[in-house]
Amino acid sequence: MAHGAPASEIDLQPLRTILEDRYNPENYQDSLELIVQACQEAQHLYGYVPKAATEAIAEHLGVSTNRIFGLLTFYADFLTDEPGEHTMLLCHGTACYVGGSQKLVDHLDLRYDVTSGKTTRDGTLTVQIVNGCLGVCDLAPVAQLDHHDYCGHLTVESFEGLMDTLRSESKAATVEDSDETD
Amino acid sequence: MRLTNQEAFEKYASEAQERWTSKFGGDRWVINVGISECSKAKGALDTWSNLQLHLDNSGLDYELHQVGCAGWCFAEPFIEVFAPDSPGIVFQNVVTDLVPELVQAFKTGDFPVEHAMGVRGDESFKGIAPLNEHPFLKGQHRLLFKRAGEIDPDSIEEYIANGGYAGFVKALLQMTPEEIVHEVKESNVRGRGGAGFPAGIKWESGRRTQAWPKYVVANSHEGEPNVFKDRRLIESDPHLVLEGLMIACVALETPHGYNYIGGEHVLALARFQHAVDQAYELGLLGDNVLGTGKSFHMRVRSGGGAYICGEGSALMYAIMGERGQPRTKPPRSVEEGVWRRPTVLNNTETYAAVPSIINNGGSWYASIGTEQSKGTKLVTIQGPVARIGVAEVDMGYSLRSLIEDIYGGAKEGYTLKGIQMGGVSAGPLRMDQLDVGIDFESLEEVGAMLGSGGFVAFDESICAVDFARYLTQFNRYESCAKCTPCRLGNKALLEIVDKVRNGQSPNEVAALIEATSENIIDLSLCGLGQVAPMPLLGMMKAFPDEFEAHFRDGTCPQGQCPVSQPKLRLEPVAAD
Ligand SMILES: Cc1cc2nc3c(=O)[nH]c(=O)nc-3n(C[C@H](O)[C@H](O)[C@H](O)COP(=O)(O)O)c2cc1C
Ligand code: SF4
Ligand code: FES
Ligand code: FES
Repeated sequence: MAHGAPASEIDLQPLRTILEDRYNPENYQDSLELIVQACQEAQHLYGYVPKAATEAIAEHLGVSTNRIFGLLTFYADFLTDEPGEHTMLLCHGTACYVGGSQKLVDHLDLRYDVTSGKTTRDGTLTVQIVNGCLGVCDLAPVAQLDHHDYCGHLTVESFEGLMDTLRSESKAATVEDSDETD
Repeated sequence: MRLTNQEAFEKYASEAQERWTSKFGGDRWVINVGISECSKAKGALDTWSNLQLHLDNSGLDYELHQVGCAGWCFAEPFIEVFAPDSPGIVFQNVVTDLVPELVQAFKTGDFPVEHAMGVRGDESFKGIAPLNEHPFLKGQHRLLFKRAGEIDPDSIEEYIANGGYAGFVKALLQMTPEEIVHEVKESNVRGRGGAGFPAGIKWESGRRTQAWPKYVVANSHEGEPNVFKDRRLIESDPHLVLEGLMIACVALETPHGYNYIGGEHVLALARFQHAVDQAYELGLLGDNVLGTGKSFHMRVRSGGGAYICGEGSALMYAIMGERGQPRTKPPRSVEEGVWRRPTVLNNTETYAAVPSIINNGGSWYASIGTEQSKGTKLVTIQGPVARIGVAEVDMGYSLRSLIEDIYGGAKEGYTLKGIQMGGVSAGPLRMDQLDVGIDFESLEEVGAMLGSGGFVAFDESICAVDFARYLTQFNRYESCAKCTPCRLGNKALLEIVDKVRNGQSPNEVAALIEATSENIIDLSLCGLGQVAPMPLLGMMKAFPDEFEAHFRDGTCPQGQCPVSQPKLRLEPVAAD
């Protein structure tokens, strides 16, 4: 999954292809039913729902962009701003609470000034705090990184360890990039 | 392949059955690997690929076979091994590092007992005890979870080989819609989404409303923080839910079915969509199904990150591409639901019970459970217990036995303090209050709630006030903000609890909490607001001493609330 594709580099073609293949409403009623899932496709492709994607969806389904924004701001899963390099779903369901997720939520707020949907200032990590259960309570407190890897039995210390790894990876990547351009 | 009539279906079913039985009989090794969101989180995909690698090198004739989850989270990743001429043996916690050792053992023919969870059938095998005697499974009665962890959820053939779609075919070809509703009423299966309304009566009202088209909708939103049963059911046996929905479509005489699945449940969404695609291919969905001239269509819809969308009317707005906010009732959804048409909405688990009711009759189903709560119930546990998982027990099963025997009691190093019942909608039971049956009436009597069946064990280190704050905060955050008592009332309630946690309780704080709660409960529009204060009130009732210590002395006995914590001052990361 692509993460944080900058707004200027959004390639709408993949989204258009998906819309044309699988989103063919028979009438206006169908169009309305399909908006949220079309937005999910966009978020899946770009890591968030960029404005350009919203417009493409509106055009394809024949609905207004206002209506789409109304939905994007209602459903907490959607990101409308470009996320950081990594995205984390931090579970704050009951098992995770009992296991100590409140400490992580507080830590993020105190140390990084990050609440749900926000990105650390250095752009490393966007955190979405999930109120429902992620369904892997045996690992509580747990987070899902980049929609793929699970980090279980999290503590503030292990979270910091993870942050160190993510930051050093991104530094290494930056050095490589600059080598190439030299 | 499209099946065009009953004979074609029966032929397909008997061939599928033959292929299924011969799969496990021969000289070939068949190895099931459970792949669910839960097992993937624990590395089941790595186990899969490492098994492939080592089995390729072993020279054994083998087949790896994907199955769903069997509900035993504590044992994930699991595999089940069918050696030639041997019963299936389930091995637990088969992390990828264990694979070489296991494959080596398969070659020599002795199975490592220490990694085995149990063997299928009633007898021990090579020192491995029967799976049915495993404490996690012993008290369970698996009707809905019968195939879970044994068939490939992506295979309609395996579902049909194991009796699948027989209920739909019977309902479609041999029963009138009235007879179907009659059986469902007779079974007295009650809604599994929380409220426990009898499904048969709902279906009957849906039939009675004279407006078309009508809709049948499954509620697989599952946005509560305390439960994970519906997504597992779909991940493990999606066709079972689909079949239940299709039978409801036959009963309502409508071609329009929906399943609304929470957007976070990625694997459940994919597997259900796949199941729908397969049913279309086989001609069980589509037009002129099995030559009857009737059409059945199924749509999958989803939204994400809004707990309130699980509420019936909000869910329908969500389907219609609007913000999912509840509306006042009446009209009830059986009168005006999706697209303002008569709509029957049931929980995923409710639909899953329907095929067996049609196959075996309503009175058979009604013979399971208690006087007023029939059938089996899927329950999940969270928190520090020895064995986390999804269990299925008869209604009325002892809560104590569920916690202590099936879930194994407290995890090593923990002492349990209570069980939070009914998630964010009710209060807890202390450990001395667990001698009660798991059913709608018994739990309500003791001030708890069956709800959707997600129980949370919490241990002595958890402060009742802090826990109550968490649950109140959930409801405040998830309030859709449509009506004032819920939007502002829950905020006020949270502020009071926060003062208590900070050791600054206002005067007469208990009375203040009760008065505020009463307003929220009485004046809120929907089910969220109407029960939002219940967890807090329930905690106060169950642990009065702890609340008293906060109220009176401004202290937190558990040392969890801010009042007893050293002032943390963390330096924020410097801005770039
Ligand atoms: C705030 C709120 C959230 C709900 N969430 C769900 C849910 O996630 N799944 C569900 O099946 N029912 C949920 N319900 C209950 C539904 O409104 C409805 O009663 C149920 O889906 C009907 O199906 P049943 O009769 O089979 O239980 C929720 C209710 C409220 C008030
Ligand atoms: S009670 Fe709460 S959730 Fe329900 S409609 Fe009112 S504000 Fe929305
Ligand atoms: S509550 Fe966090 S995974 Fe279930
Ligand atoms: S093992 Fe399937 S839910 Fe955890």
